[in-house]
Amino acid sequence: MSFRDLVGFAIGALRGHRLRSGLSLLGVAIGVASVILLTSVGEGARLYVTGEFATLGSNLLIVFPGKTETTGISPFLTEAPHALTLEDAEAILHHVRSARRVAPIVFGVAAARVGDRRRDVGVIGTTSEFLGVRQIRLRSGRYLPAGELARGQRVCVIGSKVQSELFGSRNPLGEILHLGEERFRVIGVTAPRGLSIGQDLDEIVHVPVSRGMKLFNKISLFRILVEISSHQEIPAARRNALELLKERHEGFEDVTIWTQDSVLATFSRVLSLLTAALGGIAAISLTVAGVGIMNVMLVSVSERRREIGLLKAIGVMPRQVVSAFLVEAALLSTAGGALGLAAALGATRLMRTMYPSFPARPPFWVVPAALSVSIGVGLLFGALPARRASRLDPVAALARR
Amino acid sequence: MPRDFWKLAWESIAAHPLRSALTTLGIVIGVASVILLTSLGEGTRRSLVSEFSQFGTNLITIHRGKTTTAGIPGAVGGTIRKLTLGDAEALRRVPGVDALVPVAFGSARVEFGERGRDVVVYGVTSEVPKVWRFAVGGGRFLPRGDPARASSFAVLGPRLKRELFGEANALGEHVKIGGRRFSVIGVMASKGQVFGFDMDDTAYIAVASAHSLFNTEDLLEIDVLFSLGASGDSVKEGIREALIRRHGGEEDFTVRTQAESLDVLNRVLSVVTAAVGGIGAISLLVGAIGILTMMWIAVGERTAEIGLLKALGATRGQIARLFLLEAALLSVVGGGVGVAVGMGLGALIRLAIPAISVHTAPGFIAAALAVSLAVGLGSGVLPARRASRLDPIEALRAE
Amino acid sequence: MIELSGISRDFQVGEETVHALADIDLTVPDGDYLSLMGPSGSGKSSLLNILGCLDRPTRGSYRLDGREVARLPEEELSRIRRQHIGFVFQFYHLVPRLTAAGNVELPMIFAGVERGERIERVDRALREVGLSARARHRSEQLSGGERQRVAIARAIVMGPRVLLADEPTGNLDISAGREIVRLLEERNARGLTVIVVTHDPDIGSRARHRIRLADGKIVSEENAVADGAAVGLRSR
Repeated sequence: MSFRDLVGFAIGALRGHRLRSGLSLLGVAIGVASVILLTSVGEGARLYVTGEFATLGSNLLIVFPGKTETTGISPFLTEAPHALTLEDAEAILHHVRSARRVAPIVFGVAAARVGDRRRDVGVIGTTSEFLGVRQIRLRSGRYLPAGELARGQRVCVIGSKVQSELFGSRNPLGEILHLGEERFRVIGVTAPRGLSIGQDLDEIVHVPVSRGMKLFNKISLFRILVEISSHQEIPAARRNALELLKERHEGFEDVTIWTQDSVLATFSRVLSLLTAALGGIAAISLTVAGVGIMNVMLVSVSERRREIGLLKAIGVMPRQVVSAFLVEAALLSTAGGALGLAAALGATRLMRTMYPSFPARPPFWVVPAALSVSIGVGLLFGALPARRASRLDPVAALARR
Repeated sequence: MPRDFWKLAWESIAAHPLRSALTTLGIVIGVASVILLTSLGEGTRRSLVSEFSQFGTNLITIHRGKTTTAGIPGAVGGTIRKLTLGDAEALRRVPGVDALVPVAFGSARVEFGERGRDVVVYGVTSEVPKVWRFAVGGGRFLPRGDPARASSFAVLGPRLKRELFGEANALGEHVKIGGRRFSVIGVMASKGQVFGFDMDDTAYIAVASAHSLFNTEDLLEIDVLFSLGASGDSVKEGIREALIRRHGGEEDFTVRTQAESLDVLNRVLSVVTAAVGGIGAISLLVGAIGILTMMWIAVGERTAEIGLLKALGATRGQIARLFLLEAALLSVVGGGVGVAVGMGLGALIRLAIPAISVHTAPGFIAAALAVSLAVGLGSGVLPARRASRLDPIEALRAE
Repeated sequence: MIELSGISRDFQVGEETVHALADIDLTVPDGDYLSLMGPSGSGKSSLLNILGCLDRPTRGSYRLDGREVARLPEEELSRIRRQHIGFVFQFYHLVPRLTAAGNVELPMIFAGVERGERIERVDRALREVGLSARARHRSEQLSGGERQRVAIARAIVMGPRVLLADEPTGNLDISAGREIVRLLEERNARGLTVIVVTHDPDIGSRARHRIRLADGKIVSEENAVADGAAVGLRSR
């Protein structure tokens, strides 16, 4: 009996019971579709986050003030006795050989006012290098001027949303924007970009770093971004920067330096884990679908006793009976898997058209995995019924009414 | 009569033990996974809520800045909105305010001799044990005094004390915090982790000392304890008005009662639990399809029996009910076993990894059983309709 | 009392309309013993189905104890079958997973008879067919004759007015068949209306009231009671 004949035979048997075949198949389809959908959403989140990190520019070191031994999140929140200063940033640029660009950052929230329009905005105090390091594009005007770090002019670059909310359709270039009590002249507008790692860059105002520190009454920087000239240099550059800052801070190692790679890897790992967990929970339904197939196949074996008896009577080998039933089960589950796959791919495509910024797509391994798992489900749960069929005694099977 | 229907339904289920067991197994797996997942979620929620409520419920927290969409009020970076010690002291005059702690916050290296450790340092006042309900394990907490004046006293968390001093006595010893000398006057009792922060691996110094150490005048938050008789909402309103007056008419801070924070926490975690449970429930849906399939097959097989029952005078409704009951029975038994399996797995997890909190709320069990009943009835509808509509003459001829 | 007048039953088979019964008039008084005979396809089964309220006639009137039942809704017909009519089939139609007692109990369950009373009535019915000893046996443990006796017990347990037997001996050997006929006649002697469909002339001729069908029409009717002691013959 060729494989083709086997498949033909199995399809014939399945078509005899369209509804129950359809329902068994539907179970697998739901299972496969939900696994793929959930992993696609998880993978989308991972791609989204890593994509956002990639826009930070490449080969980045991120320096935070403060260091604790117990909690990983504290660098976001804490202040430290030794300020991370503008001089530290300059020292990194001059003494860490592979440091190509350095962008010191202070960050805070301030009340912005133009005429009588006001709103709270996020304010980034930084330097001209930030443009390159964060790969920011301008819609009009120019970015913060290069020059001495400690002597910033009262100028600012505003996000596109800040512009529309505070200036309306007016041209903001050359106009005055109040941040708190201080006056800043608008010299540029950034191109719309949307959410970027928790900060909506369109709602941000950029000012020279020394102005920002004064605005928020800070001695310490929030972070220093350091762009390293090549990927290989990163570990050495990180070591150099740590030593340099320790030396500058009277021997205290009170900064935390993350490499972009390690941050990326951490996020990626966490999100992959999450994706796998969600997919795994959804995959429980595949087991249930498998049990369903097994049940239907068992019924089919007992209904077809006479047919099986006849097959054996005319000399079909037990092995061939086994393969006939296995093929039947595998066909059911594979068809279900394919259906589920198609449905899930359609749904993710729909999601991508509805939310273009969120790259929901199945991880590369999911499609082959889903198909092989659904074949596997059929073979695994088809095994018991197939064995039962092959062991039927032909005389008894034929005799029984 | 219902009892006899039960018996009839049970007998048809028992007539095919393997088939019925497999059909039920689908529901068992579905319900067990939903129960297990929601129990994990509920356990997490409970442990977080209890971490939260150990601070007491008559607590109000004031953060600088307005609440952002992310829900973190001004915590990241700086703001021109300040909360100052003056703000904190002014709040003492708000009716209902019993005690309060201004909190400054930073990280610094704490050293004793050769040993050092980088930890979180809190700048607070003498009222921490009262407001936060933290107990002192040895010595005493920071003394009362003018909050605006720095002092060189420090109180250590138990873990920090152990790391620096081992089993030796720390009281009266001098440590360096951020390079400055402090003398240890107390060690806190163990508190464990609260929201991922190790509260035992910290040092407490006077808020003015922290301001000087971290070079700031700003407070991270002010924690207000109101008297038990007062209403949280009216105290909150009083605080809001007092601060708005002090801040030149602007509401550039966020006031939140513990009850509100707890609410947010509960809501977020309930949504997560529901989402995870919902993903688990996909299995339940597949299990329902299994019941539908098997009941459909059973109607086909039992055509002759259905014809006979009709000849004997069973009405359409009775036959439909019989098959519905059979489906419901399969499903509810599956639900019951599923609840047991889910709870059993939960207990195993608790035994194996005590750090994971598992809690099966009675509501979940009731819901799981109700859902499995609904699943059974829902998946029984089509087969039951098919059975009740069989033509008795055709059906009797089927044998 | 069963009164059929002008009963017809048409079936749609593809494009064609088949007239299974055509214009049947028949009166079956209470306590009658009626046999329906005729070749295959003569309409015996169709008539039996209508008499048993399993099927509704296309045209005509069916009065059962004076009540017109030909147009009743299905639920009402179920109730009539349950209360007034007992069935015995050629292939017994026992539910295999139930015991003899369980099978006899079935109709009472759907009729909502109290549990205590059911047990009593099952006992009595099984005693009357001589199967008390077999109450706990399942149908596969019973012989064909025993199965048919269980079926009779089931048919009489609700105390019907009419018992319809469709080839009740068709699947049995001679002695078992005789026993079944004896049981039916015993019920009839106690006042139950018995209607038997059969191929077997020996059995058919035992009835007082005999009808022969062909092509959906009554071709002959003999009624020993109506014609007194003499056997009358009325041709149509």
